[in-house]
Amino acid sequence: MAASTEGTGFFTDVTLCIGCKACEVACKQWNQLPADGYTFTGESYDNTGRLAESTWRHVSFVEQIDRIEPSRSRWMMMSDVCKHCTHAGCLEACPTGAIVRTEFDNVYVQPDVCNGCGYCVPSCPFGVVAIQEEKGVAQKCTLCYDRQKDGLEPACAKSCPTDSITFGPLDELRAKAEARVAALRAQGREAYLYGVDGEETRAVGPLNAFFLIPDRPEVFNLPPAPVLPSRFQPAAYTAGLLAAAAVAAVGIGVFRRGASA
Amino acid sequence: MTETGSRHGASYSPDDVAASLGRNDGGIGRGQTTYYDHPVLHKAHWRWEIIAYFFVGGASAASAALAALADHSGDAEAAPLVRNGRYSALAGALVSSVLLVKDLGRPERFLNMMRILKVKSPMSVGVYSLIGFSTNVGLGALDQARADGLLRGALGVDPIAWVPKSLRTAALAVSCAYMALYTGVLIAATAIPVWYVGRRHIPAIFVLSGTTTGCALQSALLAFGAPAPRTAKRLEMIELVAALAEGALLLDYERHAGETGKPLFTGPRGRRLKTWTLGLGIALPALLNLPSVLSRAPAHKPHLLRTLAASALALAGGYVLRSSLITAGRDSADDPRAYLRRPE
Repeated sequence: MAASTEGTGFFTDVTLCIGCKACEVACKQWNQLPADGYTFTGESYDNTGRLAESTWRHVSFVEQIDRIEPSRSRWMMMSDVCKHCTHAGCLEACPTGAIVRTEFDNVYVQPDVCNGCGYCVPSCPFGVVAIQEEKGVAQKCTLCYDRQKDGLEPACAKSCPTDSITFGPLDELRAKAEARVAALRAQGREAYLYGVDGEETRAVGPLNAFFLIPDRPEVFNLPPAPVLPSRFQPAAYTAGLLAAAAVAAVGIGVFRRGASA
Repeated sequence: MTETGSRHGASYSPDDVAASLGRNDGGIGRGQTTYYDHPVLHKAHWRWEIIAYFFVGGASAASAALAALADHSGDAEAAPLVRNGRYSALAGALVSSVLLVKDLGRPERFLNMMRILKVKSPMSVGVYSLIGFSTNVGLGALDQARADGLLRGALGVDPIAWVPKSLRTAALAVSCAYMALYTGVLIAATAIPVWYVGRRHIPAIFVLSGTTTGCALQSALLAFGAPAPRTAKRLEMIELVAALAEGALLLDYERHAGETGKPLFTGPRGRRLKTWTLGLGIALPALLNLPSVLSRAPAHKPHLLRTLAASALALAGGYVLRSSLITAGRDSADDPRAYLRRPE
């Protein structure tokens, strides 16, 4: 797949997902990720729970049951993934340079460089990257960097039977997504794009992995307004420097006063 | 999902369910605010090493700064403070480095931190600040060892004698200040709600707490040596001012954080913070030190037991502050509502 000037990404369409979890399995197989164990949430058919160090695709099952008008009930599945932000909190936080932006404009953790300091983890505004305890390094979706290098599409997109997950150059994906939203709305259905130009992109910028969702983002645990941690630094540094200056002034004053007395 | 509680502890009252079921206002989605209350964010893995690093780093930065102040005051009585401060700052810098490396997932790759310098990453700048701080306090300890006649031969000679003393003092002052404040910036500049809502408070609280604990440590060390009442009183004065400012900022942080501050300020952790940091760590030492600070009489030799008790309490309070902040970050990360409502 030739990279366009804007790079590559995922368009994940919730209205097409059937919850088969082929993407979760394909991702684990291709990237040789360990199993998540046999936890049983008891909440839905989702026993994976969330994205984590060895779960780079996660299919959530949102059940909205209307007991008064059962026909209005709906069941939505969303295959979540690293958003590969334009302004990536993890990348900005990484002190070793292990997290880089690839030639495909994706955010990639170099496993041989990461030293497991863990600062990217609380710096990710989507709760994606996490430390793999046995390897001692941070891990997340690579957007199948290795497959892209060989001109292949990522394993999850390849395995998706309904094309809920599509991969390609971002400009093509966005055009396709806009058309899909228009088509759904023409049918009288709800459809919003998450990660293209809404409130959610104000701090982190457009997302290379964006979503078509039929409900509010928080229903899928997508933050309506993700933060970019580096934006908090000016206030934090100002507070710290003011305090340090005040302490220095007090210290100098106290030692001067005593000296003349 | 609206009709049942979840294993993450959130539950919906029958009234909520009734209200959401009765609300057929166009959309089918009714009242969900999260996905089964699963956390949105991942918490930092940081363990006791980082808590101890924050604590030791702050106290040793203040110790080094106090030693430099005492050195420049030219007061011969302050000589023990200069000596204690310089040696304990170096010890603190060495312990800090070990703690920082030990906390890494791959400690043998610590040097990867020095592949790059990233101004935007407090973790990156912080590592260089620790190296700069260690170098500065190392030189200070070398000066002291030379003055104490501990060194012979090549080490008895100042390796950077050509650098003006004022420049060395400036470098030390900058590295002390940065060492004490950057850890606050480090946690404030994250996506964790309870930390980032405190971005105008936490770095200042860390500087003040570092000063409080540094003064407490030096007061205790000073009390064991020859009587130095004037110096002891100065330490108590600085500690008192810093502790009161720290307490005021903590209370303002609580007021500002509101709902988002609950993991830190309420429950068992909140009670522990208020008892150990605000009460026993700030208020009680302040009361113990107040009489001697306020007395206009010439300084008299402080009571050893009183000094040691006040110091131990202040140090314990400083540690509890750091540990409360780090552990509150975990609970805050686990609470999807705290983040989804996007607190400022």
